Amino acid sequence: MQFTLKTKSKVTSSHHAAAIIGAGPAGLTAAIYLRRSKIDVVVFEKLVPGGYITSTDFIENYPGFPDGISGEELGELLEKHARSFGAIIENNEVTSIDLNVAPMLIKTSNNTFTASTIIIATGTKNKKLGAPGEEELLGKGISLCATCDAPFFEGEDIVVVGAGNSGVQESLYLSKFAKSIKIIEFLDHPTAEKILLDRLKEKENIELLLSNKVVRFIGKDKLTGVEVENLDSNEKKVLDVKGAFIYTGVIPNTDFLKGVVDMDSKGFIKTDEKLKTSKDGVFAAGDVRTTPLRQVATAVGDGALAAYGVREYLEER
Amino acid sequence: MGFLREEDKEYLREEFKKKLKRKVELLHFTDKNNQSEYSRDTRALLEELVELNEYLTLTVKDCSDKEELESEGLELCPSTKIKSERRGFMNFYGAPAGYEFQSLVEDIIDMGSDNLPLPPDIVKELSKISKPMDIKIFITAMCPYCTKAVRTAHLFSLVNDNIKASMVDSHGFPELAMKHNVSSVPHIVVNDNVSFVGALPEEEFLAKIMEVIE
Repeated sequence: MQFTLKTKSKVTSSHHAAAIIGAGPAGLTAAIYLRRSKIDVVVFEKLVPGGYITSTDFIENYPGFPDGISGEELGELLEKHARSFGAIIENNEVTSIDLNVAPMLIKTSNNTFTASTIIIATGTKNKKLGAPGEEELLGKGISLCATCDAPFFEGEDIVVVGAGNSGVQESLYLSKFAKSIKIIEFLDHPTAEKILLDRLKEKENIELLLSNKVVRFIGKDKLTGVEVENLDSNEKKVLDVKGAFIYTGVIPNTDFLKGVVDMDSKGFIKTDEKLKTSKDGVFAAGDVRTTPLRQVATAVGDGALAAYGVREYLEER
Repeated sequence: MGFLREEDKEYLREEFKKKLKRKVELLHFTDKNNQSEYSRDTRALLEELVELNEYLTLTVKDCSDKEELESEGLELCPSTKIKSERRGFMNFYGAPAGYEFQSLVEDIIDMGSDNLPLPPDIVKELSKISKPMDIKIFITAMCPYCTKAVRTAHLFSLVNDNIKASMVDSHGFPELAMKHNVSSVPHIVVNDNVSFVGALPEEEFLAKIMEVIE
C-alpha cells in the first residue's frame, strides 16, 4: 500500500514579487528558476502539485526518464525540486485576480494576496463531447479520468472516445481492467504517436473504430450503451457498454480570467514569444496558453521562459 | 521497513511541531484477530505517525465492539477517526492511502490547531444547518481530485456538530460503492439520499449538500 505525501506550506507574507497560479510542470519549473534568482515566489495550487499529469498513468516522452515515469511520481519530483530552492506552495484555489491595481490582487477562497508579477500556469482539463446524454451520465459510467475510475470497470466492456495520445495511452492502461475496449475516433486515422499505436496492435482486447462519431450516450441512472455512426456509410449502431472514457481534447482552466487577459476563441491565453500576456507583468506558461503542442517537455520550457520574463520585468523596474 | 520515508518523517515532525497546539487522538477500529493486509498497513502507518509528535496518540479498538463503534457515530470498519477537543467529525472508512494520506495529515493539523481555511460566508451558511448531515466521500487511492472533496467535507464538519464527514475507500467497501452506483470519483453521498460527483469548489459543494435539507 502506498501513502503519498504532498508536502505543502502556508505563506507567511501576503505580498510576493511573483505569484504563480498552478503547480503543474510549467508552474513548478518557473518556481525553480525564480527561486534560483532569489526572487520571492508563491505558487497556488487548488488540487495536488503536479497538475494534470497526476491523472496520467505513465509518461515516457519526457527526456531523462528512459524507463518512463508515472504522472504521480513526476509530479512529486517536480514539487520536491521546487521546494528544495525555497518555493512556497499554497494549497488554495485562486478565484479571481485584479490586474488593474498595483500591486496586483489575487483572491483565493479565504484570503487575498498581492504580487508584482503573475505567471498563469493553470493548465487544462478534459473536454466533454457535448453529445446527448453525456451531462446526465457523467459520473454514472462516463468518466474523464482513467487512473481514478479504471477499477470500477473491471471485466466490463467499455469505449474510449478519441485516438490521440491521451486516448490511446489511457486505453492501454484501461485494458488491464476492462474486458474489451473500443476506441471511437472521428477521423479516418489515429493521431497518437506511432509507438503507442504499435502497442495498441498487441492488445487483443482493444479495437479501433475509425471514422466513427458518438451520436448519443444511452442509459437512465447508469450508462448502458453508446450509439455511434460510421461517417463513411452513415450506418448507426449501439455498442452495449458500461463505461465511456472521453479523451477528445482539452479546454483551458481560464474561467476566472475572462475579460482579464486576451484569449483566443477557445479560451487559451495569447502570449508573445517571451510569454507575456496582454497585461503588463502577467505571463502565461504551459498548456493554458495558445500553443501548437501541449506536452510536459513544452510546459517545462515555457516555465523557464516565463520565469526569465518575470526576472527581466522586475529588473527593469 | 516503515511506510513513511525519512524525508517525509522529517517534514511531518516539523509541521506538527509548528502547528499542533493540542492533543489529537487517532481512533482506529480494526479487526484485531484476523487482520487483512489492508488493515495491518493502515494501523502500521498510524503507529508511525503518532511517533512523530507528543500531542498525537493512537487508540486501537476492535471492530467487533459494535457498541463502541456506534457510540462514535461510525458504521463501518476499519475506520480511523481524528479526534480532539475541537468540534469536528473527520473520519476515514478504509485506508487513507495514496493521495488521501495528505487529507489525513491536514485533518490532524486542523484538529490540533484553530485552523479554519473556509470563507466567512460559507461558515455562516454551515452554521445554520440544524439537522444531521452524514456526508460520505467515495474515493480511489490514485484519484488526485478526491482529496479536495474529502478535505472540503471534513472542514465543513469543523463548523457544525450536525455534520459528519467520512472518506470511503471504494476498493475497501466495494458493495457499498456498488449500492450507491459509484463509477467515478470523488462520488459524494449525503444522508444516503443526495449524491453528486466531482471535486467541486466549496460554495458549489455546499449548495449540493444543502439539497438534502430542501
